[in-house]
Amino acid sequence: MTVSAGVVLAGGQSARMGTPKAALEWHGSTLLYRTVAIVARATCGPVVVVRASRQELPELPKGTQVIDDPRPGKGPVQGIAAGLAALEGHAEAAFISSTDMPFLHPAFIRRVLRVVAADAGTDVALPVARGYPQPLAAAYRVSLAATAERLVEQDRLRPAFLFSECVTARLDDAALKADPLIGALDPDLDSVVNINTPGDYQEARARLAPEVTVQLFGTLATGDSPRGPLSVRAATVGAAASAVRLPFGRDGTLARHVTAALNGDQITRDGATPLAAGDTVYFMSADAGG
Amino acid sequence: MAPGGYFGQALVVDVTDGTSEILPLSGAVLRAYLGGAGLGTWLLHRLGPPGVDPLGPQAPLAFVFSPLVGTPLTTSAKFAVVGKSPLTGMLTDALASSQFAIAGKLTGHDAIVIRGRSERLSVLLVDGDGTRLRDASHLAGMTAADADKKLRDELGHGWRVAAIGPAGEIGVRYATISHDGRHAGRGGLGAIMGAKNLKAIAVRAAAKVATADPGAVLAAARDLRARSFGPATEKYRELGTLANLLAFNAISALPTRNFQAATFDGAPRLAGEPADGAAAGEGGPGSIEGMRRVARSSCASCTIGCEHIYRVGRGKKARVEYENVFALGPMCGVSDPESVLAASARCDELGIDTISAGGTIAWAMECAQRGLIDAPWLRFGDPAALLRALDEIGTRGTPLGSLLAEGSRSASRTVGGASGSFAPHVKGLEMPGYEPRTLHAMALGLAVNARGADHNRSGAYEADLSGDLERLEGGDAHVAAAIETEDRAAVMDSMILCKFLRGVFTDPFAEWAALLCGVTGWDVTGAELHETGRRIVMAKRVYNIREGWQPEDDWLPDRLLREPLTLPSGRVAALTPERLRAMIGAYYKSRGLDPQGRPQPGTADGLSLA
Repeated sequence: MTVSAGVVLAGGQSARMGTPKAALEWHGSTLLYRTVAIVARATCGPVVVVRASRQELPELPKGTQVIDDPRPGKGPVQGIAAGLAALEGHAEAAFISSTDMPFLHPAFIRRVLRVVAADAGTDVALPVARGYPQPLAAAYRVSLAATAERLVEQDRLRPAFLFSECVTARLDDAALKADPLIGALDPDLDSVVNINTPGDYQEARARLAPEVTVQLFGTLATGDSPRGPLSVRAATVGAAASAVRLPFGRDGTLARHVTAALNGDQITRDGATPLAAGDTVYFMSADAGG
Repeated sequence: MAPGGYFGQALVVDVTDGTSEILPLSGAVLRAYLGGAGLGTWLLHRLGPPGVDPLGPQAPLAFVFSPLVGTPLTTSAKFAVVGKSPLTGMLTDALASSQFAIAGKLTGHDAIVIRGRSERLSVLLVDGDGTRLRDASHLAGMTAADADKKLRDELGHGWRVAAIGPAGEIGVRYATISHDGRHAGRGGLGAIMGAKNLKAIAVRAAAKVATADPGAVLAAARDLRARSFGPATEKYRELGTLANLLAFNAISALPTRNFQAATFDGAPRLAGEPADGAAAGEGGPGSIEGMRRVARSSCASCTIGCEHIYRVGRGKKARVEYENVFALGPMCGVSDPESVLAASARCDELGIDTISAGGTIAWAMECAQRGLIDAPWLRFGDPAALLRALDEIGTRGTPLGSLLAEGSRSASRTVGGASGSFAPHVKGLEMPGYEPRTLHAMALGLAVNARGADHNRSGAYEADLSGDLERLEGGDAHVAAAIETEDRAAVMDSMILCKFLRGVFTDPFAEWAALLCGVTGWDVTGAELHETGRRIVMAKRVYNIREGWQPEDDWLPDRLLREPLTLPSGRVAALTPERLRAMIGAYYKSRGLDPQGRPQPGTADGLSLA
């Protein structure tokens, strides 16, 4: 059993957007893909996507689990219940996210999860950021699944009912920004900015891609490509590769003999892998070894 | 009649009295074990008495060639030296490339096996006139390179020599066998040769060997040659394996100070890449490459050219690879490029394996740090201490040198206390430069491999670095990857093809089968060849079990299972005993072994070992 996992709720109505938010294009991929991948990066996994029954989903990162919400239309507590139930026996706590937060930062997720991990008596870590409680950018102990389920059965569908039945630690702006990484990389708490209308989406999409650092190892840097570290703006690994003129396959993966390591940690050849501000991308030979 | 590419016979020489005999090799045996490491395993089963002392006269030492040797296929001038390791007590096989492979095979034999013990230090000569022993007392104490040169001067045109250095003569248990500046490095094969009082073996071509379909072989050779110039080999061509160093440091996979860390502050000073802004070959400030790279070279019959030659001191040159820089640099905490290159050259002069030397010295440095051995001068990061330790080992000149000449496992048993928990070995073979806590597929590969902690018989790190699986969360996918790379390595090491070519193949077993068909005339398929790989892996395990392997030998040092690493990202990399045990259990199951890692009854009967 891992310490932390993730749940992404994809089954919302997207009524004001007029089109499913999960499938909105995001730097060559989709909003759902980005959200799932960012949550996966910040947790020990797995990540569960909760969808409405038979809802069509765009492509998801490898290893993502998808479950059907048995009672769609019952709101976020039902999604929380379904997601947590799917993680019973697999993780102690989960970061639960909606699909529509395009600037969610891994540092934010880790900060929120640490609250639950640090205190066995805390059931929920609830950010109260940018003036609002953020139940869909919060950490929940997996053992709350039964409580959430009962509340849905009782038709008590607001998250506040759940918080009133368990120990909830609230994190205000100051508490969140006190985290050095959040203070440096997400100082305005854009992690909780969500998009609900086409206008919101256009505005978010028009923002500059995050600033990341790229470094090349081995033979990848030629006389024309500096070895780095270089600062570039790139929302995905593929964009970072393009910024330093590395070969890129038509299938959205790096060329066969190139691989990338995010922050010296996650290794990937998937060009759609999302980046967040402050990330470092190492490009190296996929034939490492001797 | 032997299949194409083979002579269908091994030469078995007893150097006690210089007699020799021919061991016929049937087509069935050759097809089942191919050559190189595979055929060597078969020969050890056949000719090695159970329980034999690796340094005793009855222990066989096999120089094994392959069906591809002598063909125009790139990287095929390779051979395997196979024996029972004096370091591990189990099977070891070391591969190397040089003209020795071609001349050795063209003596008319698919293998030359040496048994017995010469009365005095000798050279074994093998050519068309048969075998004979020649006095080598004038070569005593010489470096392998000097002995090679001296012998070739004495013997004249056409002779190729494999020799041991002074460490092999005095039984350092990780002594090497060298030829043309290359080394059969791991497992102490040089000590076996030294125990036979054999300074060198010299071979001269006397025969020709035909391939079944010369046209097909030539076409395949042209194709493979073209592919060998592509991106799959660029790393080796342009920088060599030293390109690993900075990349591994960036992903916390660079073992440092005896696995006390996985990143090394001094790594940039030891890197093969030129500093930013400098072209390759022109170097830059602080770069080992910039200061010292002087040339690039190739093994015999190779178009890759992975050898990167560096200047070491005045007038000396050394071939530098990732493993020797890792073992004598970060592993010992040494960041001074000049000292690391000098230590590497010193290992070559003494004739000892750089990985085992570095690992054993790093262990001793930690022992000294903890007060477990009385050697206050032996400190991490001290270049002078590193060089002094190498000399004491290579000459067994001091009690400490003699202790360390036995390897880290044996030495830790002598020192006792907690020293065994951080002795960096598996089955007695010191660990290569791959951090198991951050490379979980490789962790399994290192634990279960027949040769011990080995990166050439299990290339499972490829899976860890592929992005196809989570390298910090070892599970079933890692097991499958480890098995696949073991099977592939078993075939490549038996055909033999250089592993630096592996990236050019997209359907490896089928492509290798096609090469074998052209050479041998067999109708071998990719599926059959995959089965051959599995057979060779199993035959090695069966040999080890015969020689005393126990389930606890398939394991990693305690340190790697009890001391998690924290990555720069903040993530904790832990390889727990439970996770490793689960992966090993799944590996055994997939290999058809019982839960203790032993073959099911009757398995050995199907291995064609008789």
